[in-house]
Amino acid sequence: MINRRRFLRGLFGVTVALPFLESLAPRNAAAGPGDVPPFAIFMRQANGVAQQTNDEPEMFWPRNLGAITAETMNTDSDRAISELRDYADKLLVVRGVKFAFPGNGCGHSGGGNQCLTAARVSDTPSGNASLSMGESIDNRIARELNAAGVEPLTLYAGKMAGYIDEVMSYRGPKDIRAAERNPYNAYMALFGLSDLEPEVLKRLAAQRTSVNDLVREQMKALQSRGNLSEADKQKLDLHFTSIRDLEVTMSCQLPDEGVAAMEAISGSAGANDNVEIVARMQMDIIALAMACGVTRAATLQIGDGNDSTSYLIDGVRQKSFHKISHRIDSDGSDGPPIEGAATLHHKIDRIHGQLFKYLLDRLSAYEFGEGKLLDYGVAVWLNDLADKYHSYNNVPYILAGGAAGFLKTGQYVNGGNSANNKLLNTIGAAVGCRNADGQLLDDFGDPSLERGLLDDLIA
Amino acid sequence: MGLRNQLELASPRWLARLHTGAILLALATPGCFLGSGDPSEEGGNGTKTEEGENALAERSRFPRLSHLQWENTTRDLLHLDARSGLSESFTRDPLGGMFDNNETVLKVTPGLWSDYQIAAEELSAYVTADQERLGRIMPEGASAEPLERARQFIESFGTRAFRRPLTEAEIGLYVALYESASEVLPGTDPYVSGMQLVLQAFLQSPFFVYRVGESEAPRQDGLIPLNGYEIATNLSYFLWNTMPDDDLLAAAKAGELDTAAGVRAYAERMLEDPRAREVVGSFHAQLYKYEHYLDLSKDPALFPQFTPEVASDMVREAEMFVDDVVFKRGGGLTELLTSRTAFLNERTAPIYGVEGEFTEEMQEVELDPTTRSGLLTRIGFLASNATPRQPDTIHRGVFVNLRILCADLPSPPNNVMGLPANAEGTNRDRVNAHTGAGTCGGACHATLINPVGFAFENYDALGQWRTEDNGLPVNAADEYRFASGTQKFENGVALSQVIAESREAHQCYAKHWMEYGLGRAATDADRPMIAKLSEESRTGTPVKQLLLSIVESDAFLTRSPLEAP
Repeated sequence: MINRRRFLRGLFGVTVALPFLESLAPRNAAAGPGDVPPFAIFMRQANGVAQQTNDEPEMFWPRNLGAITAETMNTDSDRAISELRDYADKLLVVRGVKFAFPGNGCGHSGGGNQCLTAARVSDTPSGNASLSMGESIDNRIARELNAAGVEPLTLYAGKMAGYIDEVMSYRGPKDIRAAERNPYNAYMALFGLSDLEPEVLKRLAAQRTSVNDLVREQMKALQSRGNLSEADKQKLDLHFTSIRDLEVTMSCQLPDEGVAAMEAISGSAGANDNVEIVARMQMDIIALAMACGVTRAATLQIGDGNDSTSYLIDGVRQKSFHKISHRIDSDGSDGPPIEGAATLHHKIDRIHGQLFKYLLDRLSAYEFGEGKLLDYGVAVWLNDLADKYHSYNNVPYILAGGAAGFLKTGQYVNGGNSANNKLLNTIGAAVGCRNADGQLLDDFGDPSLERGLLDDLIA
Repeated sequence: MGLRNQLELASPRWLARLHTGAILLALATPGCFLGSGDPSEEGGNGTKTEEGENALAERSRFPRLSHLQWENTTRDLLHLDARSGLSESFTRDPLGGMFDNNETVLKVTPGLWSDYQIAAEELSAYVTADQERLGRIMPEGASAEPLERARQFIESFGTRAFRRPLTEAEIGLYVALYESASEVLPGTDPYVSGMQLVLQAFLQSPFFVYRVGESEAPRQDGLIPLNGYEIATNLSYFLWNTMPDDDLLAAAKAGELDTAAGVRAYAERMLEDPRAREVVGSFHAQLYKYEHYLDLSKDPALFPQFTPEVASDMVREAEMFVDDVVFKRGGGLTELLTSRTAFLNERTAPIYGVEGEFTEEMQEVELDPTTRSGLLTRIGFLASNATPRQPDTIHRGVFVNLRILCADLPSPPNNVMGLPANAEGTNRDRVNAHTGAGTCGGACHATLINPVGFAFENYDALGQWRTEDNGLPVNAADEYRFASGTQKFENGVALSQVIAESREAHQCYAKHWMEYGLGRAATDADRPMIAKLSEESRTGTPVKQLLLSIVESDAFLTRSPLEAP
């Protein structure tokens, strides 16, 4: 009944939008290397990649460990990784990383639960409903490095089929964070007030503060009640820290036509055929969020838990990615083999490579001081499974961006079959997370795992 | 319910079940036996009956409104003509079990808090922009003097927003907020701005977004009785999925909800309201996953008659069927599983093989009792548990085991591959070869999953009746071990009857209603109540009566004290 954008714009009168670049200008002029705090972005692909198995050839990884250059990328042009050739010197391609724990009845769910948590998978619930027993690294980064009450950005592109939906971001054991699949909602939540005039914004801030003050008083009264259960205490604490006053600072926004496109697709953001468009819109939002310092961590999940998207390949809508990844025309019951499924899987890997490249393009479009935004953070293209057998060994993690020089980019390294906690430690440490002793983060994930970082990744 | 009652209820049935369970456990492969809805399997808070203290599962004192409840509540609170639809852009809640009202996943996160804030601003602007709209929520005969008028508004609106009277201190806070408008928003009409602030603060208050549990004084058996306002609130959210109306709040004030009989009387009245039909419909829609009907794809070469309209027809048919059984016929679970009444139109009648003149409109018919029974033999369930070409025996079997019988199936192995393609033999042959006795899937599949799934072999991937599969006669006969003994059946119709007579199905149905009615997972402590409801259901008690039994139970009317840490 009410159009949100029109409503916000209509608050206290008509407002005029600032041009896009101009709105970023204050930050741009002032920024230097120390002014852009490192950030991490995680883009998840599902269903493994078309990499070498007992019966299929290598179609994903580079040929040789060591330096990655434009030249090696040309040699490896038959590999999906070559979609990132423009960023050869910014890449850190990591093989030899595994998930440490078995899934519980559903490989997809178990992989999704571990890819950013390095934690065990729940006993109950089980199967496709199983959950992670620990927080995810994006949550850790946000918890440690964001202002209080600012959560990691948790976005999604594609269908939600209800079998397994979001899998990436956990506040804690069994506490999964819902992902936003509608870019317009995500944009409005972060930047919906950006085109308000400063005077209007000030009034809105004043209004919100007085309402917030009253609500805070009520919350405090509830929190101070005796005999609350632990779960209720945590619930109220989360609610209380969520109440934030409006800070009238810099305004950031995307061009009007981009936002209009998000609004236009709003009703069908979850449609199969819009997956790639929506993914790119979400990346626009993530890049802007990092440019404006909104948060230090973001995730973007492409497709549902066992991505059932029908991707467009060579002009044809193919069978669901999940079926292609199993090489048979079935989600697990019956069906003939899919002709050329390995090649189709490879092409879907390339689609994800192209999507990831778009993210890198967006992060490179913002220039700060000496470098580009990408140089100050790290973006990760990861998978929650390894291959067509949906194995947990040799799960791909493709990093891009050096996190302000912390990571040694331009190389392809072997993690030596280490559990993914070390990789997540390395990323966490790269953006500024520390362990309880104030040292580089080295103990993220399940406490039974060997502590440490992947030293080969560090500059 | 006192400890003695609990023991009386508990002893014969639960011991018998335990006993049978043990035997079954010995017979079947470890980890795979008919747990028949044993709530203890799901963990949760155990009871301490051995200490002689009456116990119920610990409940949150701050269950948050679900998004649908928020929609309904803001509509009714502000007397809007329809739901605003604003919650469609709210941060979603993660899946939390079977139903959308499970209190453990309903939290106010930073994202949702911001959504609530913006929605409150939008609604307050919408309501205050128009004298008529504002007039709808003003108490009758409110003063013409602005401050006094605002005060009267805060008192009456606040009672509806918080579902209890405000304290003087609370009224004072809101009056102060109203008065601050001229300072906070200079240059605006202080009355309108003040009302906006007040409305925003009400809609963002924890007392609005949570159903706050206020009562703390235990009665003699240790349980804490909820006060009339809390009961009015829980009653209303259970039976109407929205806030209590003025009558219910008046009843709370007058003490009419202080006895179980009083609560029951009000609940009976509420069940006559169309909003109750929506709730009963929603319960079954979530239990049977109607939303999946809308996401089906069928091979157009095999099923040219399947169109997106047919998918919507399947949902509509299921909705009308449940409504017919529960509200028109006053039926229970048995009728839901065995009634032959159906609502078909020109698209779905041919799928059922029903001849006659049909139009776009749904028309009530009686189906052939030899080929069709209740919900499990209807095309929605059958087609949604099928691939584009073949019946999905395993998923049909798993669905019935998990959702209808509450059997304790362990998870399948990780990374299980699909059935091999096989041009020869029937679908049943193929399933058997892959998962039957003697295979690695034999433990669960051969005894629990496949027999139930095979019963539906007479229905193809669209739910059409068939007697041949791949040129061979269909064999839908099998047997299933219930706690009361092994039951044989010829097909899905017979199986529906067997299930309708089984303890397991009624226990499972009762457990699901408890979970839905209380907004939380069932635990050990709910066993006696589930057993009671189950027995009522099995002996023919209508669904509406089951709901009345729930609202007059201790589980509904009291709260368990917090266990000492």
